[in-house]
Amino acid sequence: MARGILQASIQNRGLVLDPRTKLVMLFDIALFVLGSAGGGSVEPLVPILCAMPAVLMLSAKKWKGAATYLLVYLLSWLTYTQLVPLTKGAVNFILLGCSGMLSRFLPGIAMGGYLVSTTTVSEFTAVMLRLHLSEKIIIPLSVMFRFFPTVMDEAASINAAMRMRGIYMGGKNVGKMLEYRLVPLMTCCVKIGEELSAAALTRGLGGEAKRTNICKIGFHIQDYLLFVVCLIPYAVWIMGRVL
Amino acid sequence: MKNNQKLKGKDLINIGIYAAIYCVLMTCISMLGYIPIMMPMLTVIVPIILGVPMMLFYTKVKKFGMITIMATIVGIYLCVTGMGFWPILFGVVFGFLADLIAKSGSYASGKKSILSYGTFCVLLFGNYLPLYIDREGYFSTRQSFGAEYINTLGNIMQPWTAPVLIIAAFVCGMLGALLGKALLKKHFVKAGIV
Repeated sequence: MARGILQASIQNRGLVLDPRTKLVMLFDIALFVLGSAGGGSVEPLVPILCAMPAVLMLSAKKWKGAATYLLVYLLSWLTYTQLVPLTKGAVNFILLGCSGMLSRFLPGIAMGGYLVSTTTVSEFTAVMLRLHLSEKIIIPLSVMFRFFPTVMDEAASINAAMRMRGIYMGGKNVGKMLEYRLVPLMTCCVKIGEELSAAALTRGLGGEAKRTNICKIGFHIQDYLLFVVCLIPYAVWIMGRVL
Repeated sequence: MKNNQKLKGKDLINIGIYAAIYCVLMTCISMLGYIPIMMPMLTVIVPIILGVPMMLFYTKVKKFGMITIMATIVGIYLCVTGMGFWPILFGVVFGFLADLIAKSGSYASGKKSILSYGTFCVLLFGNYLPLYIDREGYFSTRQSFGAEYINTLGNIMQPWTAPVLIIAAFVCGMLGALLGKALLKKHFVKAGIV
């Protein structure tokens, strides 16, 4: 596979949003869906926020991602609202756990996936510079941003390899899980990281001169529209407080 | 190495790499938090397991500020994943303290780095703070997990557990550091990574 699913490609990516809009959206979902801020008055708006990752993924031509997200989310939501009240005892507890947690975490995960998979590292850096953050925070954050897909990829490969040797939950060698997974993961990541930092240094990262960036970022009509969507929950929240 | 105390690109890239590893592992482990009894146990498990990557990170730390930035980034990550604003504040404060401790051992002393990582782990308590200062508010946002979950969690998280959690995070951080050191010796030194 030439390209990981989480890595951003510049060609053929449909509607382009400013990374700041995506960040605001992610924060909104973290706050209102994951954190349930605002309580009862915001609750009716939560489904709209949950639908946003799917809409955004569709706009970015990520058909598969959008379909998977919608399917899993709807399933867990239906379980949560329809099936859970019918059950009792331990089944209820487990079902409630799975569906309640899924429907709470999925939107955030999907939005994070969308953010990482549609933003290139250069764009991300450009936005952070535009926000006047210190380089000491920007460089680690953008490296981290670039590195998440790599870590997941490596972890998945190591997972597969260790499964073959019977080192998994419920397998023969559960006790070795920690050591046999962490150590290879770290070794891989350190090696990749060294190469990455060599590559970045040759491109002048960490030099004395001010870096330039050719990414065109800026707000367009779609960004303003999304900002309005993001602001509605806040407005409702404050209205609920005042009235 | 030149005796230059300014943070260079390479140091910052290192922070990013280790922060990514840290955050991915932390997220995987924290999924256990749904089981009520595991919720306070996270302050035990997370520091111990993450001691391994952090001890490797400590071998790369040679300058003041790296641990502070690391802790701040972990705090920002926790905030974005829905833990509120406290983790950022805790990250800055305890990252800075951890940095001071490691600096007093000039970033080479084994004992100081163990102590420093213990301090670093206290930042995890930032996640729990809303549970103690705004109990009603916190549980009202967790209604979707069901009454059973709330009751169990409420019984576990009595106010007196707050100092226990802090101490647990600190002690387990040190245990995790010891584990990390042992693994480091066993694998990474041999492989020439450290």
